[in-house]
Amino acid sequence: MTLAADGWPTFVEPVAAGRKGSGVLVVWRLELAKLSGQLQVRAIAAGCLAIPFLVVGGLNLQSSTPGDTPFGQWVHTSGFAIPMVILGFGGQWVLPVLTAVVAGDIFSAEDHFGTWKTILTRSRSRGELFGGKFLAAATFAVAAMIALTASDLVAGLLAGTQPVVGLTGQLVPAGHATGLVIASWASQLPPVLGFTALAVLLSVVSRSSVVGIGGPVLIALVLQVVTLVNLPVTAQLALLSTPFTAWHGFWAQPAFYGPFREGLVTCAGWFAACGVWSWLVFRRRTIGAA
Amino acid sequence: MRRAAGRRRPALAALAICPLLGIISGCGSTGLTPGPLQASLSRAFANLYVLQQTEQGNPRPSAPDLHSRASCQKGTPGTAQNGSGSWLCEVTYFVAGPAYPVIAKYNVDLQTDGCYAADGDGPTSVNGSPTITGPRYQQVTNPLWLIDGCFDVTG
Repeated sequence: MTLAADGWPTFVEPVAAGRKGSGVLVVWRLELAKLSGQLQVRAIAAGCLAIPFLVVGGLNLQSSTPGDTPFGQWVHTSGFAIPMVILGFGGQWVLPVLTAVVAGDIFSAEDHFGTWKTILTRSRSRGELFGGKFLAAATFAVAAMIALTASDLVAGLLAGTQPVVGLTGQLVPAGHATGLVIASWASQLPPVLGFTALAVLLSVVSRSSVVGIGGPVLIALVLQVVTLVNLPVTAQLALLSTPFTAWHGFWAQPAFYGPFREGLVTCAGWFAACGVWSWLVFRRRTIGAA
Repeated sequence: MRRAAGRRRPALAALAICPLLGIISGCGSTGLTPGPLQASLSRAFANLYVLQQTEQGNPRPSAPDLHSRASCQKGTPGTAQNGSGSWLCEVTYFVAGPAYPVIAKYNVDLQTDGCYAADGDGPTSVNGSPTITGPRYQQVTNPLWLIDGCFDVTG
């Protein structure tokens, strides 16, 4: 018995225009709802809001100043020095930790709980799932950075709005200093998103949250050690950790933006490479095979 | 078979990266040369000298009139004059006319990102103490004791 090819019933998915995009948004909203319920996410949000004020309190209790970092000697003179000291001290490793805690777990948690099979049988494609999860991780990184910037600035303003000495010895008045603090913290966003993509990649490839979260942190620390070596400028600028220090140029006179511009290219490269790589791995993954 | 190949790949990547790093570090400039360091330090010194005089209640000098210039050296004259680490700098400036130069010494710790911390090394009255006395006998931070600065390594 033969059946004509057109004799088979056809199961054509009804694809409405714009459906794919809205699918990503559905996953994104769901992931954000899941994130907002997680203990570690709430702890980070609380930490972002509280830590700058704790630093200000701690600095007020002692008369010594933190050395070895730009602006360290001015923390008791001007409140604008405080956000910059926090950035100088912690930026290169705290910020990768911040984003990796979510981005390094958002894919591998499904492996850990064995829930891929469940969510992949829902009416969302792999692409929509991937896009939504990736977007949720990036959204968390951006939100955490905004919270941290705001609380840092407010803590600094409360500590004092005297003019601060910039990185060419010039006095920066309060209004301009406020703008520079915001710009400096905003300049951390590209490398933070680069680390977000890196954490997603490790999370997807390893299927382990330990690697997804610990890997980017370890890489950040290794890169920090590598930057101590006298590399040529081109090699130095290709590292994902270098853009974290691009803000120094904002505070010089005349200000220079070369490292920031190069950093944007570096971060975009890392972001795209890690994003594409993790999608290629995720797309071809066999899920549920014994 | 596939698994074995997969495991070998990181090792191959590491093998490829090592010589690549070697080639990269062999060529190209670090951007950490005396020129931009001297320009940045002399400028920062002049600005901070003005701040120091103001805080001491002295007449406010003008930064360009100091005609400050810095001269920096890394290690002995035979050492390659570039890279991070410890530099010795002398800032020459003029407060009493062109015939009377004053020299302030600094130990400069230069980092690979183009930021430095210049630690004052005399004369004592200029940059030798962490605090200075203001006009009302209050102690304030001596701006010239420690100079934090950065310059562009990409430029």
